[in-house]
Amino acid sequence: MAKEKEIQEKFNLKKEIKMAPGYIIVLIWVLFTFVLLGWVLAASFSTTPDIFQGKTLEFPTGFHFENYVKAWGAQNVSVIFMNSLVYSLISCVLLILICAPAAYALSRFDFKINKLIQTSFVSAMGVPVVMIVLPLFGLVSALNVLNNELSNRAVLILLYVGINIPYTTIFLLTFFSNLSRSYEEAAAIDGCNEVKTFWKIMFPMAQSGIVTVTIFNFINIWNEYFLSLIFANSDKLRPVAVGLYSMINSMRYTGDWAGMFSSVIIVFIPTFILYIFLSEKIIAGVTGGVKG
Amino acid sequence: MKKSKSVLFLFLAPAVLIFLLVFVYPIIRTVLMSFFKIDAVTDSISAWQFTGVENYIKLASTSIFRSSMLNLLKIWLFGGIIVMSLALLFAVILTSGIRFKKFFRAVIYMPNIVSAVALATMWLQYVYSPQYGLFKDMFSALGLDGLAKIQWLSSDHKFTALLIAYCFGMVGYHMLIFMSGIERISPDLYEAARIDGANKIKQFRYMTLPLLKGIFKTNITMWSITSVGFFLWSQIFSTVTADSQTITPMVYMYLQTFGAGNAVTERNAGLGAAVGVLLSICVVLVFTVCNRLLKDDDLEF
Repeated sequence: MAKEKEIQEKFNLKKEIKMAPGYIIVLIWVLFTFVLLGWVLAASFSTTPDIFQGKTLEFPTGFHFENYVKAWGAQNVSVIFMNSLVYSLISCVLLILICAPAAYALSRFDFKINKLIQTSFVSAMGVPVVMIVLPLFGLVSALNVLNNELSNRAVLILLYVGINIPYTTIFLLTFFSNLSRSYEEAAAIDGCNEVKTFWKIMFPMAQSGIVTVTIFNFINIWNEYFLSLIFANSDKLRPVAVGLYSMINSMRYTGDWAGMFSSVIIVFIPTFILYIFLSEKIIAGVTGGVKG
Repeated sequence: MKKSKSVLFLFLAPAVLIFLLVFVYPIIRTVLMSFFKIDAVTDSISAWQFTGVENYIKLASTSIFRSSMLNLLKIWLFGGIIVMSLALLFAVILTSGIRFKKFFRAVIYMPNIVSAVALATMWLQYVYSPQYGLFKDMFSALGLDGLAKIQWLSSDHKFTALLIAYCFGMVGYHMLIFMSGIERISPDLYEAARIDGANKIKQFRYMTLPLLKGIFKTNITMWSITSVGFFLWSQIFSTVTADSQTITPMVYMYLQTFGAGNAVTERNAGLGAAVGVLLSICVVLVFTVCNRLLKDDDLEF
């Protein structure tokens, strides 16, 4: 309905002039954001001497795509990039497989501790990560799993899944609660068992909620920093956020500013592309997840 | 409808088990740890020495921890005021029937989806650069030489620089929450107010603001939760470990327990745990105070 209204609305000069201060304020902010991103993008194709001479936007020595080649290969951006991609994708899939049934059960089944589980999950979203990190580190060290590459990766994925369980479950819970019960009743009459009913009928119906929450989880896990810093034991295992941080530090010492900016852009790109295509869905998800 | 217990268990068990492992067990253990002296995080309970509230007393008398709490308070209060005002301003502008609303909204929210390391690097290495920085160029172009001359990353201005950069990224998220609240207010109410002769400012003061009480509560709670976890920005903006200008409790706890620096004289994981408990208490306090002050009246809209 809102959409139709926007199209029908005709250009009304008087009204637009009245809103001019609003336009100006928002435009300044948006312009600033564009200059910030645009300059960093330009710098990533430039050279360090050009950047320091303030000629970033003039490209006196042409475009330097080799910054990217160098960052991707020699600076190991490819390693951290692939690490993050693997961690994020596996965690997102696991989160749905674990949380969707749980959310469905909480929305449909009547049992004693249903309310307790829901309240605990909601409160857990406000728990600062400092509150849980020490015992987790103790536990993981005691099990001696950080010495092995594969088990270290598994620990990271388990942690990414673990900290996102409350949010994912609560988000999907509201989604399942809004689905009509008549589908399950029909399925039960047709002799379909509960597990099958869920995966074959209810799960596909919650698809749009699942997609939204997965985008969020992907972005969160892609950008996760603190846990990765503590639990990723070697350079080979680091995801982008931590890897980029140490890379930036070393590039500052070697003085490769152009290379630093191209690494920033490489890390920036995946979530940015997701955003360009799915910004409407992401924005709807932000306000759908939290209620006033 | 009757549901079998085994199905319930099958559906719920994985989520609940991981939740117990990743949240419940660590929270309980952290609370316990904060009352003990523990040489290494990995020590078993038998090696802990009970010291009561010693850890808390020690924290209170550590000057670097006190400055970290002060920094956090400043970030929460000043940052909160800046972010909430801008977020509310943008939300009001964008919901007032402006053109390209979706585009503006998308651009303002954008910093939230970008890796904070990338965003912080852009600010640190570009905007604040004394040689080719955006602030320097922007302010000299506007003729504000005083502002252009500021060395943003010197120890006098570092905290301000950090706060500005952090707030820039946070505005979008809180704006979206304000917008969802404003859009829920029925346009009929504004129509009625307009007919009764209330101008835009009066409408905002006497209608929008009171109706947004619940939204303010959500925003303040969310802001407090993210502030408490303030870590990455502080780490990126500090050139030395344990920089009293930019240190936050979480950075202190990291240095204290994972010992990645020279600031730590004594290894005691109990102190780190006590930091966690204190921060959690802060969140709970803010939440309770908000609930008291901004009671959801039975306003229907």
